[in-house]
Amino acid sequence: MKSLKYIWRNVTRNKLRSSLTILSVGFSLALLTVLLGYMATQNLWGSEAKKYNRIVVMNTQGFAGDVPIAYVDRVRRIDGVLAAVPYMWFGGNYKAEQMPFSQFGTDAQQAFDVWSEFTIDPAQLEAWRNNRQGCVVDRRLAARRGWKIGEKIPLQGTYYQFNLDLELSGTFDSPQNTDTLWFHWKYLDEGLRKAEAIGEGNAGTIFAKVERTSRIPEVVEKIDAQFASSNNPTRTQTESAFAQMFVEMLGNIRTYMLAIGLAVVFSLSLVAANAMAMSMRERTTEIAVLKAIGFSRGRVLWMVLGESCLIGLAGGILGVGIGCLFLQVLNRLMPLQFPFQVHEIAGLWLAALLAIAAAIGLASGIVPAVRAAQQSVVNGLRQVV
Amino acid sequence: MEQQTSANGDPIVLVRDVYKEFHRDAITIPVLMGIDLELKARDFLALMGPSGSGKSTLLNLVAGLDRPTSGQVIVAGQDLGRTSEGELAKWRSRHIGFIFQLYNLIPVLTAYENVELPLTLTRLSRRQRDEHVKAALEVVGLSDRLHHYPRQLSGGQEQRVAIARAIATDPTLLVADEPTGDLDAKSAGEILDLMERLNQEFEKTIIMVTHDPRAAQRAKRLAHLEKGVLVDALPSQAETTARREASA
Repeated sequence: MKSLKYIWRNVTRNKLRSSLTILSVGFSLALLTVLLGYMATQNLWGSEAKKYNRIVVMNTQGFAGDVPIAYVDRVRRIDGVLAAVPYMWFGGNYKAEQMPFSQFGTDAQQAFDVWSEFTIDPAQLEAWRNNRQGCVVDRRLAARRGWKIGEKIPLQGTYYQFNLDLELSGTFDSPQNTDTLWFHWKYLDEGLRKAEAIGEGNAGTIFAKVERTSRIPEVVEKIDAQFASSNNPTRTQTESAFAQMFVEMLGNIRTYMLAIGLAVVFSLSLVAANAMAMSMRERTTEIAVLKAIGFSRGRVLWMVLGESCLIGLAGGILGVGIGCLFLQVLNRLMPLQFPFQVHEIAGLWLAALLAIAAAIGLASGIVPAVRAAQQSVVNGLRQVV
Repeated sequence: MEQQTSANGDPIVLVRDVYKEFHRDAITIPVLMGIDLELKARDFLALMGPSGSGKSTLLNLVAGLDRPTSGQVIVAGQDLGRTSEGELAKWRSRHIGFIFQLYNLIPVLTAYENVELPLTLTRLSRRQRDEHVKAALEVVGLSDRLHHYPRQLSGGQEQRVAIARAIATDPTLLVADEPTGDLDAKSAGEILDLMERLNQEFEKTIIMVTHDPRAAQRAKRLAHLEKGVLVDALPSQAETTARREASA
């Protein structure tokens, strides 16, 4: 404790060098924070989905296969299913922007029964139900784009050869920003039928709400058994497993991203180690003086390590702070990929990042600290005496 | 500050038949050859000699910074050749005060903090440390510079802070290596006055390496090293004069 003041003064001795070292550690930690934050988002998405007893029906071939619209009613009739809707990804361009937000064709009658945690003004819901070209959007999406009720929202088909001319009927609130627009599945289907385009009659996927968690296995089995011998057999899974599927699709990418992140951390640790070594070289005489007046090798070792740890930790706090700020910005700008705010995804991984920062400091200080501790007092003083 | 006394009259420093060699690759360089030296409490020895004669090496041996190749160095009752590295560090913190040519203050610490540094190795409380620091700075006449950093002080003031640091723990022996070597004549004179005062008023035992004959004359005893051999160890002119005056 008595040496803390001296350690702190040494950290602030060469402000430019310390700042640059702190920034180098901070940059790598900010990068890792965003990477791990993204992974935490994916994991949380999966665990959040578990809360709502929703299941997703897909073709066994995945998104490449059709789920006939007739399946929706058959799913609704299964005992234990409270509501079911088609949920078809559209992926259209909005004005000059390419797929700037999510767009799904669904059923206005039951959508808010399936996503029962979403809320909407009943009058707006009614207005949507009564308007074939109506749509509803997440309130945060409407606010970001400045859309008002009655706003015309033209969506140009990319995968589907049909353009949607939508009118905003209402906005809904959801626990996380979904960045999503819902329109009538039927409107799209009729358009595709008229245009004789690919995709008509396809529900895309079916989202269904099950009465209670304990009934999910039974309902899943019944659904898949019902369509097993059809032309379009299904694979039904919980929404959580569905979310996990996307995470698994990123499997290798996640590993690569993490590997790159760790490589950056490693290379910047070497930069920090070099800065620390330079700092110690400049203080050869000073360390010799400390040892001459009675500072033991151990005390010198811990003082140098304390200094490097402090620098690492400062970089860590800065980096994690910047990373969290960046995640918060991403949550606003890319809510589909980053639907959760930092306080929702915060966990032990943040503490682990700070521990990594301290470890970077420790690792970068080990060689200079051992050298300083082992340095001969006489040789150190020789420069001046 | 306490006055230094020899409890049983034994010498503070006892150097017996000391040899010191350095090795550069396969070459052996003898630096000290059969040195015998004795310093009693309250002695003030000036060690002179040309560059490379072994003055600093002898000082390092007496200060416990290095070990002899053979022979015995006993300081404050401790046989330094038989003491481990860790014990030597502790021993130095208790018994040795260092004064260097280039002051060697820690630039990021204030005068107060520099003087406090060796005291942080002791079990003294914060208040006791504060008392020691202020007393030491009072002795060197820098009570009004407590919170100045070394860069804000003149060379003479820096050396006085270094002396305050050396005496703060009330060590048995002060070792000074060219303490006036980097100072102008006026500042050098002030530092020598201060060292004389420490020796006479506070009864500190001092061993000082110097090239400067005027500095050496302030010591009670004078020793010359020539090529690693102690050629004489006589009372200095100042001591001779003092003795004559005393006997008269």
